[in-house]
Amino acid sequence: MSMEYQPKVIGFLCNWCSYAGADMAGTSRMGYPQNIRIIRVPCSGRVDPLFVVKCFQRGADGVLVSGCHPGDCHYTEGNYHTRRRFALLREFLDYLGIAKERLRVEWVSASEGQRFSDLVSDFTAELAKLGPRSKV
Amino acid sequence: MGQGARFEMDMELIQQIRDKARKLLEEGVVEGVIGYERATDGLTSRPLFAYNPPATERLIFDETCAHNLVKYLLDKKGKKMAVVVKPCDSRAINLLLNEGQIERDKVFIIGVGCPGMVETNWNHKSETLQVKCRSCQLSKPLVYDFLAGQEIERQTEEETYSDIAEAEAESLTTRREFWMEQFGRCIRCYACRQVCPGCYCPVCFAERLEPLWVGIRIAPEENEMWQTIRSFHLAGRCIGCNECERVCPVDIPLSLLNRKLEKDVKELFAFQAGLDPEEQPPFATFKKEEKLEFGE
Amino acid sequence: MNLFASRDDLIRWLGSLLQERIVVAPVRVQGQTMFQPISQIEEIAFDFDNTTLSPKGWFLPPTETLFSLQRDDGQVELVPTLAEQDAVLFGLHPCDAKGIALIDKPFLQDPGDALYRERRSRTTLIGLACRQALPECFCTSMGSAPDDPSNVDILLTEVEDGYIVQAVTEKGKALLPKGLAEYKGKVPTPPKLLTVPTKEVISAMRELFNDPYWEQVGDRCLHCNICAYVCPTCYCFDMRDYTDKGKVERVRSWESCQSPGFSLTAGGYDPRTTKGERLRQRFYHKLLYFPEQFQDVACVGCGRCVRDCPVNIDIREVISNLQQVMEAKSGS
Repeated sequence: MSMEYQPKVIGFLCNWCSYAGADMAGTSRMGYPQNIRIIRVPCSGRVDPLFVVKCFQRGADGVLVSGCHPGDCHYTEGNYHTRRRFALLREFLDYLGIAKERLRVEWVSASEGQRFSDLVSDFTAELAKLGPRSKV
Repeated sequence: MGQGARFEMDMELIQQIRDKARKLLEEGVVEGVIGYERATDGLTSRPLFAYNPPATERLIFDETCAHNLVKYLLDKKGKKMAVVVKPCDSRAINLLLNEGQIERDKVFIIGVGCPGMVETNWNHKSETLQVKCRSCQLSKPLVYDFLAGQEIERQTEEETYSDIAEAEAESLTTRREFWMEQFGRCIRCYACRQVCPGCYCPVCFAERLEPLWVGIRIAPEENEMWQTIRSFHLAGRCIGCNECERVCPVDIPLSLLNRKLEKDVKELFAFQAGLDPEEQPPFATFKKEEKLEFGE
Repeated sequence: MNLFASRDDLIRWLGSLLQERIVVAPVRVQGQTMFQPISQIEEIAFDFDNTTLSPKGWFLPPTETLFSLQRDDGQVELVPTLAEQDAVLFGLHPCDAKGIALIDKPFLQDPGDALYRERRSRTTLIGLACRQALPECFCTSMGSAPDDPSNVDILLTEVEDGYIVQAVTEKGKALLPKGLAEYKGKVPTPPKLLTVPTKEVISAMRELFNDPYWEQVGDRCLHCNICAYVCPTCYCFDMRDYTDKGKVERVRSWESCQSPGFSLTAGGYDPRTTKGERLRQRFYHKLLYFPEQFQDVACVGCGRCVRDCPVNIDIREVISNLQQVMEAKSGS
């Protein structure tokens, strides 16, 4: 496993839902690939497109932005803005040659530890198939 | 495509602009008039700031007047200025009103109908219409205080974004190589930012050291960061004056970036910038029930 | 003595130079012409008017790493950047060659810039005289000429079926190919240029520092840096240290006095906050400060800023206007 290409994934997880969900995956001993490095943010709406593009520029192969389900945002509206912002950014990055599959936006609640674990495994496998970003 | 604007210098139109400008200055309605005058090549035009009535005799308007003069209003905050405005420029007025950057009662807008501007360089005037003019359907500015001359019905077809669709249809690798080659030529002069009416941040993200987003190194990766984020900061705000592309000294096709975002913003959010100064911009609002790409 | 090289002679000679040196020459890039290192002679654009950027970028690149520091296990290693090979800069016009000679003054003045000095000494300049002038050219008003050999090592002048080859320096002579015949034909007359009266501009500059003229022109300036970046004699730069995982790189990149914030100092003081002040600085540097320091005006009349300024701030017009303003002042 260590000789194969290992995608580098950066995850921006909102403190109230997604980060708690990831925590739950951990405490329940649900494994997920170690390729992901998690950055905790107060809300998925905090995630500036600048962060995402910078991650890609610095060598990330995939970026995950995860927040509360729409309607359940701890700050009421943050994730509605996230949704709009990243719908556009995904299209734009794809147009510039960064495959849209490399940017994932997911909604994970605090009790969805299994969902988080599955999602990271799925994302990592997909990125492994796509290959390193600099090659595409 | 590319039909030349055929108009001789419309002296009647120009006289109306000059007369209005002179009157505004004589009566002290404005402190200065921003318009166009002939450039040193005797062929193209350049911005003119007239602060006294005699200077208004230098004002002209012809098919070389592509410059968007609205940006200069941001340098003259607090002063009442008049500005000559084409239909595309009037969208910049609406944008800046919408974003609270100019006050309506501090601007006297001298509107002009526009048959389309031709591509020019210093000492060269072509017959080809500028990219932005080829699908413009505005017969007069969207906002003005005085209309010089007539409305001009444009014989153009509506924007189809066919060149964007063609670019989208290329493979991912082709697109990547194309854009890295284009970004590789960027010398980070920031002319695109300086000329853009939508770029007015007191400290641009590219100048920040903490956190460091771009830095000073001029290399394809850093240039990609610069170009991608600047375009994205204009998403839903770019009013399509294409000044960025016109001033770029190394001919980077910036309209292929801005119009892609304009197309997607239209499709995703049914919004186009600069049409209505009261309308909520797409990233300041949302619809709870919209699904977009991520379900829910 | 003038020698003659046919077109084929020239191509063969450049090809042999390419075997053991870097050859930097004008190359077509998406409709523009730029000076770039080439990998094949076929890349050279022999027929061009003027390049977009001047060749100063070979000696003072838009971006370069001055040196890097590597830190491992408490050891610090300093890794300087050095010019790798000898080089030939081919095809520069006399105006651009003068531009390099002007930048030499601050950069080679003792103690000098080590990187610039090395690249400069390892590069031979092969100039190309101008057969025609562009409407924006005014080199003859700024101390140069379309056929001026002063600042190159070899000057080529295009004639009917080849080039007149003139070795100007010993460095140039050493690089010439063997077997070139003497050129006995007519030397073409250089093109005539419009003149820009410059006699009183320096004294005018001394008097007009506080004149409202500068804010008037500054009104339309976009502060976009284009003039400084295309200019053969502008040389301002910025330096930053970048740290990444124990490696520190000191990077130097082009900057210009036109940028808002260029002269911002720690503590927040900026001596040039208005548009007119920033615009004025560039003209003062070129037409007063540099001549006072180095006895030569820092403009070579290449016309690139005239060609590329998006709002037509024309240095020739400024030079004329300054003298007119002076005349009006002393007349009244």
